[in-house]
Amino acid sequence: MIDDTSRQDPPELDPRDIATAGEYVLGTLPLAEREAFRRRLLAEPALAAEVTRWESHFDPIADEVRPVGPPPTAWPKVERRLFAAPSDRIAAGAARLWKLLALGSALAAAVLVALLWLGQPDRTEEPLLWVSDMVSADSSVRLTALYDETDGDMRVSVAGTPPSPGRDFELWLIQGDLAPISLGVMPHEGHTQMPVPPDLQTLVANATLAITDEPSGGAPGGVATGPIVAQAEMRRI
Amino acid sequence: MRLNRRSGMLAPVQPGPVMSSDVAELQELLAQVALRDRAAFQELYRRSSPKLFAICLRILKDQQEAEDALQEVFVKIWHNADRYAAPLASPQAWMNAVTRNLAIDMLRRRRPGGGEMDAAERLADDRPGPEEAAVMRSEGRRIEACLAQLDPDRAEAVRLAYVEGASYVELAERFDVPLNTMRSWLRRSLIKLRECLTR
Repeated sequence: MIDDTSRQDPPELDPRDIATAGEYVLGTLPLAEREAFRRRLLAEPALAAEVTRWESHFDPIADEVRPVGPPPTAWPKVERRLFAAPSDRIAAGAARLWKLLALGSALAAAVLVALLWLGQPDRTEEPLLWVSDMVSADSSVRLTALYDETDGDMRVSVAGTPPSPGRDFELWLIQGDLAPISLGVMPHEGHTQMPVPPDLQTLVANATLAITDEPSGGAPGGVATGPIVAQAEMRRI
Repeated sequence: MRLNRRSGMLAPVQPGPVMSSDVAELQELLAQVALRDRAAFQELYRRSSPKLFAICLRILKDQQEAEDALQEVFVKIWHNADRYAAPLASPQAWMNAVTRNLAIDMLRRRRPGGGEMDAAERLADDRPGPEEAAVMRSEGRRIEACLAQLDPDRAEAVRLAYVEGASYVELAERFDVPLNTMRSWLRRSLIKLRECLTR
């Protein structure tokens, strides 16, 4: 499925261009040459096709790169960047203003100044997000949890050395003097989404999260038995 | 009030290698993303981000920069999904190429000089062992077979450039040859590779 274009008639390209296209795809071209080559690609379809061929040829090498779950903070950033840009909120504010102007009333005109302020993007309008970045003392285990107050969802990413065979990492919520509350057993790698039960949601703000090393399946009886691997406070972002 | 509770075993997301049976699904997701389907975009992120993040990490070797790159990658995918040309590349290969391109751009724009030798030395430890090489997909055999026909050092240089984003300076240091020699080695290797791949 990767690519069969190489079995079609290859266009007559200078071997030097074939090598340069290969260097471009590998990424070894020095920056100035890289940018000059990219400009050529816009004007030379045969060269662009050669780049696509190299990309397909080399792609299987990417199989040796083992997937690593990105931190849970990454996706909300993409979403905000694309779908909740400040310009959107300014546009929404402007729409409200136009509605008011359509009323044509003097009173409406009088409140415009106030609305101009209210219409500005306002950080307090954004859902409250909390993040806890837990890294073990030797940096071998890293667990990042992102909690979204609006939907009570917690996204967790786990990276680093997995627990020993027959063991699991368990995530705990520690709020004030209350006994640690289990939020569940973590996957050994990658990321997961876990809803926080409604009766616990009020406890998440400013809590500390911790992971402990427990028997496979989690601490028996819901009480932590193993050593704390890492812990961190939840910070508002 | 007794608050201790267990919410049970969490189902881990398995970020395993994308197998060819997933190709049609990824193509469908990309097609939906091209039509501005946000749910499809989120699903595409869920499935593809571990691989693409790992590619960024290997090239940039910095958690924060890799995260920034990943964000750019998905902004690009959102805007350019309609440019994905199915017959030319698998959807994963297309996304991998978008990611590598962006990560390499970031890497090459970074202040020159700093840490290059350290990075080159680190490369050696990250290479896959024989057992990892053995699980490579069958599609990989052609490039593997052609790389195997090169002098081992030169094949290794290609691999280091592709996976780790190694520059000519780093490669020249690693293989202990002058910079220009390194570059002509690699260019000649590329021409040989290309002949083998199209044979």
